[in-house]
Amino acid sequence: MSNDEKPRIGVYICHCGENIAGAVDVKAVAEFAKTLPDVVVVRDYLFMCSDPGQELIKQDIRDGLVNRVVVAACTPRTHEPIFRKACEDAGLNKYYFEMANIRDQCSWAHWHEKEKATEKAKAIVAAAVAKARLLEPLEDRYIELTKEVMVIGGGIAGIFAALDLANAGFKVHLVEKSPSIGGNMAKLDKTFPTNDCSACILTPLMVEVANHPNINLLTYSEVESVEGSVGNFKVKVRKKQTYVDWDKCTGCGACLDVCPPKARVPDEFNEGMSLRGAIYIPFPQAVPKKAVVDMDACIKCGGRDFSGKEPRLSKSGKPILAPCEKVCPTGAADRTPYRDPNGELVELNVGAIIVATGYKVMDKHHFKEFAPEHPNVITAMQMERLISATGPSEGKLIKPSEIPKLLEAKKKGEKVEVEKPHTITFISCVGSRDNRYHTYCSRVCCMYMLKQAMILKEKYPDLDIYIFFIDVRTPGKDFDEYYMRCRQLGIKIIKGRAGGIQPLPDDRLLVKGYDAEIGKPVEVVTDIAVLATAIEPNPTLKELARTLGINVGAEGFLKERHTKLYPVDTMTEGIFIAGCAQGPKDIPDSVAQAKAAAASAMSLLDPGKMTVEPLISEVNKEKCTGCGICVPLCPYGAISLVECEDGKKKSEINPALCKGCGVCTAACPSKAITLHGFTYDQVLAQIKTIARWPEIPAE
Amino acid sequence: MMEAEVVEKDAEKKLKFGLFLGCNIPFNRPDVEQAMRKIFPVLGVELDELKGQSCCPTWGTMPSIDITAWCAVAARNLCLGEEKGIDLMTACNSCYGSLNEARHKMLNNPKLMSDVNELLAKIGKRYEGKAKCRHVAWVLYKDVGLEKIKESIKYTLDDITIAVQPGCHFLWPSEVYPDKEEDPFNPVVLRELCEALGAEAPYYTRLIDCCGMGALRSTDPEKSFTLVKEKLENIKEEIDADLIVTTCSSCLIQLDDAQERLRKEGKLNFSIPVLHYVQLLALCMGFEPEQVAGICVTPRDEIINRIIKG
Amino acid sequence: MIESEEGVPNVLNLSEIAEREREEDERVVEIVREFGAENLIYCMQCGSCAAVCPLARVGFEWYNKKLIKALLLGMKEELLDDPTPWACVACNRCTEVCPRQVSPFEVMFAVRRMMVEEFAIPTLAIEGLRALYEYGHAVYMTGREARKKVGLPEKPPSTDSDEQALKDLKTILKNTKLAKLGLIPMND
Ligand SMILES: Cc1cc2nc3c(=O)[nH]c(=O)nc-3n(C[C@H](O)[C@H](O)[C@H](O)COP(=O)(O)OP(=O)(O)OC[C@H]3O[C@@H](n4cnc5c(N)ncnc54)[C@H](O)[C@@H]3O)c2cc1C
Ligand code: SF4
Ligand code: SF4
Ligand code: SF4
Ligand code: SF4
Repeated sequence: MSNDEKPRIGVYICHCGENIAGAVDVKAVAEFAKTLPDVVVVRDYLFMCSDPGQELIKQDIRDGLVNRVVVAACTPRTHEPIFRKACEDAGLNKYYFEMANIRDQCSWAHWHEKEKATEKAKAIVAAAVAKARLLEPLEDRYIELTKEVMVIGGGIAGIFAALDLANAGFKVHLVEKSPSIGGNMAKLDKTFPTNDCSACILTPLMVEVANHPNINLLTYSEVESVEGSVGNFKVKVRKKQTYVDWDKCTGCGACLDVCPPKARVPDEFNEGMSLRGAIYIPFPQAVPKKAVVDMDACIKCGGRDFSGKEPRLSKSGKPILAPCEKVCPTGAADRTPYRDPNGELVELNVGAIIVATGYKVMDKHHFKEFAPEHPNVITAMQMERLISATGPSEGKLIKPSEIPKLLEAKKKGEKVEVEKPHTITFISCVGSRDNRYHTYCSRVCCMYMLKQAMILKEKYPDLDIYIFFIDVRTPGKDFDEYYMRCRQLGIKIIKGRAGGIQPLPDDRLLVKGYDAEIGKPVEVVTDIAVLATAIEPNPTLKELARTLGINVGAEGFLKERHTKLYPVDTMTEGIFIAGCAQGPKDIPDSVAQAKAAAASAMSLLDPGKMTVEPLISEVNKEKCTGCGICVPLCPYGAISLVECEDGKKKSEINPALCKGCGVCTAACPSKAITLHGFTYDQVLAQIKTIARWPEIPAE
Repeated sequence: MMEAEVVEKDAEKKLKFGLFLGCNIPFNRPDVEQAMRKIFPVLGVELDELKGQSCCPTWGTMPSIDITAWCAVAARNLCLGEEKGIDLMTACNSCYGSLNEARHKMLNNPKLMSDVNELLAKIGKRYEGKAKCRHVAWVLYKDVGLEKIKESIKYTLDDITIAVQPGCHFLWPSEVYPDKEEDPFNPVVLRELCEALGAEAPYYTRLIDCCGMGALRSTDPEKSFTLVKEKLENIKEEIDADLIVTTCSSCLIQLDDAQERLRKEGKLNFSIPVLHYVQLLALCMGFEPEQVAGICVTPRDEIINRIIKG
Repeated sequence: MIESEEGVPNVLNLSEIAEREREEDERVVEIVREFGAENLIYCMQCGSCAAVCPLARVGFEWYNKKLIKALLLGMKEELLDDPTPWACVACNRCTEVCPRQVSPFEVMFAVRRMMVEEFAIPTLAIEGLRALYEYGHAVYMTGREARKKVGLPEKPPSTDSDEQALKDLKTILKNTKLAKLGLIPMND
């Protein structure tokens, strides 16, 4: 169909059931539309998007009655693709279609002003017709898609996303910032629902990731920059310096115990309840099981600092080595070779990205009212470590204040009597549902408190356990069973948050609470107080989101494109999110989201190429003066100044990057940039129509 | 707020404060007033009489009637300092609380501030929000300093165990106060002040719990006494203190007065003398006990003799 | 409603309370917000404030958490005779621990202000106000002897000894709500 054919416009007005017809007099709008220039057919229908509705349009096109289509209906956001397709099916270039939004922007907004709504609908239709007269045919474009995916974060969510994609044949690059994958789940003892041992279900998956031929595991690595767009992201990943030769390191652990006391720092894996050396393997089941040196902690024994110097010699002529390198059986910890503190930069080319960077739990020190300095006030995550077989007390329940004594004795190989708790008290919503910190509910703490209480009570029936809840939230499959079981076990559940903890002189704690059911303040003398501190976004998440060009919400978690319909998508096409990086959730939900994100990435990349709308901007080189105003304005970095044959610099737009936002088009002082589908003439015709309403401009 | 900082700096240089008395101190416990008047010149702090001052206003009066009226009465008092470019200083927690709450409200609510100034205009005054009320404990701790206090005393409190009572308005709501404890649930300022005199001032479990004074006592004395009793028993049991020291005149009255009543009713079988910190400091400096610590219900002769042992 | 002896019914008929609010065209929540308890609508009834409140500890009925709930339900008349708000020591420990930044102390005092409008005010408070107006001191005892005993002048350098200052204070008070309410004589 050629462009010079005179426009014959069909206008199709939708009732949208009562949604439009309830406020807009559709018949009146139809009568009016007939009077507009170049309009040859006007029809109205109950639901234009239904099969028979679309058929009305198609038939008129096939009959040669119309060659431009205007649908006055709901919103282009959801329905434009449907009507475009109808035009295309009937043989009309689908960009000969224009939509008039008379529902979201008219009937819904003016529901109680019928007359004015009808008048406004007429104006909107007239503007659409004015634009339709000037429409041009456009052709879709295609881009090639790289069938590789980067997953950021190796917690349970990242692990599942990586495995699903790898099993489907996609190459996966899994980028994890710490030395091992596993994330927070690796720290947990047993997990609700069903109380499986966390390590038992997690470790095999971690090993599978490490051994998978399609997975390129990049631990101790962080994303530095991302360029490009859907299908073709160019990523730079920084592999941090491990200061241990991983090709040689067998994970034997010989170096772990030789670090001197001065180089010992709180162990992250045990949530600070024990110390680790500067050279460390995060935990026994780490994958990969390799040592790294924490240079902030390392005191560089014997001046051994990786600067490339040969070791000094002792009086007896033997080289002076650091303890770690001395004991290392494979030479992996050798400190003679120079090691670049900046590590190594790896470049990746991927078609899609899944962000699964998880969460951190809030530190107890924010909560002064709960005596946070006291060793027997701990976070729930510390409780997980305290009851875990790989924890500081090897799973034996003792008072946290006794841990140093126990570890000291263990080091000396002595036996020691340590105090065990008789009473444990849990406090809910610490930092969650709190205007001073996080207003959201952290969603998993009610359940993990019940879980921990239940595990403890079943193992040590003599324990007195109290849980202070504001209200118990157990909205999941098999969840409320935990609550009932706890009650049956004799765990004392108190409805009411605690207001303070005051240490007693003997290492115990006085918890001041309130029982809303009895309506009285209550006090509990306890050996351990467990604070269910909030789940919050990783502190670096904002920075990462900025690098990726995706958004975080007010609470700091990653923002999904649409809470209900596109829960794992972001506003940037090709970037998906999963797990606690998107918001607090439990393992079942994290896994479900990870699998959804993997599936979304697959369905995006599997066809190998992707249609992109031609509604993008283009520079008219004749008109461009090369002023360069547009270049920094483009939010997608699609514009650059390039030298033309005549030696002059002109602006050029990369069609693969342009999203058609139109910022450059509006800004160009020479009117040299055309946004296809929204040309000057088209948009001006619309504006004129509205501006001169009710007069209809002739040309 | 910038300008308020400046006032603080100036005051620091000259160390001059308007002595804000309130009601309880001049009329009930004038020995506390006398102690203040004695100790500060020794410490190089000049006191202004703050002539024409009134009730702060205390909680049961204007704060219970109307916020603007509360702030206006408070602002008139604050003006007396502001006009001279100095801050106020009080030895009463209620004054400290009421004046600073009022100031905080005015600083955060321009409408309130202008309503208040409309009232002040009727008496030819205007409050800019600069002058604030400092607590005597903070002035001693921060402006004077523990070293200077140590140098100033004649008697040290060896072998004396003190139970401290900073009092609620010394701590909460921390948002409104010009000086704040690092941990408002584990206050250390008064403990350190006592330790500077050579005493032990250990933590005890109910250290931050309310003594039950004020409105609670005037509304229901019986209920109020259960709180003092609980507190005193905790002090006795946990640290067996020789002396209770507070920096609040209300706490002083409650702990001193209610204690004796409880004892007379047979509800308490021990007695621990109570002093305001400024009184204790004045005694350590060697001032006349009759003048600086002459008014009490629970006997304090024994402890005073121990302090002035020679 | 089934009346209990204390004046607060044993069974609260919430519909009747709602109806009363509608008839009198006043929402109790809005009244107390006007009186300074702006944030009470953010309360989630967690009980932290009650856990640390001295009033709850010694057995007063309508301490912070419960009072807030009562107000949110629209109760007012039922509360007018209750002494609890007048017992609040303004310690503000509740304010310090409230996770919703409600400032329950402000609620207690807003209720006092609401009660004052209904002339539900304890005698002691009236006396305090009278003394404040007469002398500039709410707690005014003629402690002259004590002052002399400790070597101080009979009168402190306050409104007690400064006529102009007392006049100023009175001028202020006469132009406040205190005068409008007419709780105490304020003639001179
Ligand atoms: C005390 C406690 C007990 C719990 N108990 C249970 C339970 O019993 N059952 C249950 O279902 N759920 C439980 N949960 C919740 C559970 O921990 C989470 O649902 C789950 O761990 C979320 O997994 P994730 O992969 O989303 O995040 P994470 O486990 O946090 O993993 C994120 C990973 O990303 C990495 N990372 C972070 N930032 C970057 C970056 N910039 N670049 C690269 N990598 C990065 C991290 O190092 C980490 O390895 C509990 C939570 C807590 C706090
Ligand atoms: S040089 Fe080796 S042994 Fe010494 S502190 Fe560093 S890591 Fe530990
Ligand atoms: S899950 Fe439970 S404990 Fe955690 S924030 Fe929500 S309500 Fe509070
Ligand atoms: S602490 Fe705050 S949120 Fe909790 S019940 Fe009291 S006022 Fe309400
Ligand atoms: S300020 Fe009042 S309501 Fe709040 S804790 Fe203190 S006495 Fe209770």
